[in-house]
Amino acid sequence: MTDQPASQSERSAASGESPARRRVVSGRAALLFAITLAAAWAFLRLDLGLVDLLPSGPSLRMAMDFFSRAASPALTYESPETPAGAAPLLWKAAQAAANTVIFASAAMSLALPLGIVLGLLATSAWWTEDLAGGKSQRQRFIGRTLRPLVYGGTRILIAVMRSIHELLWAVLFLAAFGLTHLSAVIALAIPFSGILAKIFSEMIDEAPRDAAHALRGAGATPSQVFLFGLLPRALPDMTAYSFYRFECALRSSAVLGFFGYPTLGFYLAASFENLYYGEVWTYLYTLFLLIVAVEWWSGVLRRRFVV
Amino acid sequence: MSRHTEALTRLSKQRPKNRSARWSALALALLAAGSWIAGDFGADSMLSERRLANMQRFLLELWPHPLQPGSFDISVLLLWVRDLMGEKGFEATVTTLAISVAATFLAGCGGVILALGAARTLATPSPFLPPSRSPGWPVQLFWSGIVVGCRLFMIFVRAIPEYIWAFLLLAIFGPTSWPLVLALAIHNTGILGRLGAEVVENTESPPLSTLRALGATRAQMVFSALFPLTFSRFLLFFFYRWETCVREATVLGMLGISSLGFWIQDARARNHYDEMFFLILLGGLLVLIGDLVSAAAREWVRRQN
Repeated sequence: MTDQPASQSERSAASGESPARRRVVSGRAALLFAITLAAAWAFLRLDLGLVDLLPSGPSLRMAMDFFSRAASPALTYESPETPAGAAPLLWKAAQAAANTVIFASAAMSLALPLGIVLGLLATSAWWTEDLAGGKSQRQRFIGRTLRPLVYGGTRILIAVMRSIHELLWAVLFLAAFGLTHLSAVIALAIPFSGILAKIFSEMIDEAPRDAAHALRGAGATPSQVFLFGLLPRALPDMTAYSFYRFECALRSSAVLGFFGYPTLGFYLAASFENLYYGEVWTYLYTLFLLIVAVEWWSGVLRRRFVV
Repeated sequence: MSRHTEALTRLSKQRPKNRSARWSALALALLAAGSWIAGDFGADSMLSERRLANMQRFLLELWPHPLQPGSFDISVLLLWVRDLMGEKGFEATVTTLAISVAATFLAGCGGVILALGAARTLATPSPFLPPSRSPGWPVQLFWSGIVVGCRLFMIFVRAIPEYIWAFLLLAIFGPTSWPLVLALAIHNTGILGRLGAEVVENTESPPLSTLRALGATRAQMVFSALFPLTFSRFLLFFFYRWETCVREATVLGMLGISSLGFWIQDARARNHYDEMFFLILLGGLLVLIGDLVSAAAREWVRRQN
């Protein structure tokens, strides 16, 4: 979730009024209107009445019960009879958190290399002669034949990989292999490497070309230009985005628990169905702490890295 | 030659070293290796004979069943697709789309409000101006309380995935589309609020400080200068989140509301894997179309600048 380059819009916003600018505002207003219209259609289509938002009777009591436990998450089991040998609740939560991290980082360790390889193949920078300078016979061959094949093929592959949600991959693999841990990891890794590849290729294509041009002028080969001129310029953004994806992997890994894997979602669903709302909040706060830890780590790294 | 090598070694010794990056890289490598050791990911169990046979059968069942005899008849296939689409596919796709649109709209509204509260340049005693000398500690405390409160809330709501929000809300609101819409909206409000706060904090413009210096209230500043200045950047994020909402909306149906996910789960429960596979592909197609529309919209917004 690195920011889109904002400087451009800032500059033009600061450049003041012009005839073109007045048209802009009405264009924006039209867009805003279109969005509101689309939302109105959606609300009507789904039959979303505001009355349904006011739960009544038992569901109101349930909501009150649930949210009132937010301030007092359970520290011990809520069930009246706990088996004698059971580990303490907090230990169980820590273990579920550890499993969540294990699934997420195993998936990321597959997705990251694959995403980098596919991302490099999907950059237009890699395939343009721009990096190489002159046009030799080999480059012309690459430009005409190889480029559309590999570039187009990679793009299609990336699109297919990421357009199917990780939980749907998980459903497919569940049906194919049953409940094996490896299939959950692969189900997470496929769409994640597709998304990483797409974003990486965009970041490399948008990275500043100054160093690449300098290296090319000094006579470096295309691959040297790419590896030492272009890639390092995109690396900070790529790192930040990978951390964000790790965060997403943690969330998805927690949700995989709903399919029977031993991550946070599994215990959360079980506690909720038993109406042990305090335990639910314990698991929710555990997930929250995990995400905050990753965000903090990424923040520390980014401050040192970028500035 | 040796002079050059010397110069190069000297330069490489002088290059800025990044301790935290190295430690992080090491820690991440250890984490990855550790997770493969600690997790029970034995590949042999996945490739056992029984599982391979299972997989083979499964792959065969993905093929549309009217075509089962091995002959390929396009009219039979089209008939099958038409029946599926007419029965549930079309309806479910439109519902999925509507859920994503409604949720993103709500998330956008919530995100704008939270962004204003979480932006440190706006929620201070002297917005967009150098800090005034003595605002008094209660005032200072009040404003930092708002910023911290908004940020904590945003981190919490986005730390919890949409699927879990939907699961919890389903028990409260019952089987309408509200739980799904609200779940997507809550999670994305946190994300849009955070991104929006960054946009506001990165906006440093003379009009804003001038307005404040002339005595404009915060509301006046927001409506007359901040919104026009940040609108298009916020829209970029809005469309970007809509893309992910479409993706998530297909899946949330698995909890039992009739978006695509519901029918996918239903087909799986009935062991109609061909139908399941078709609906999964349909969801993928919807996501791809959503991506294209969003990319076009973002491009348009960018060009408007």
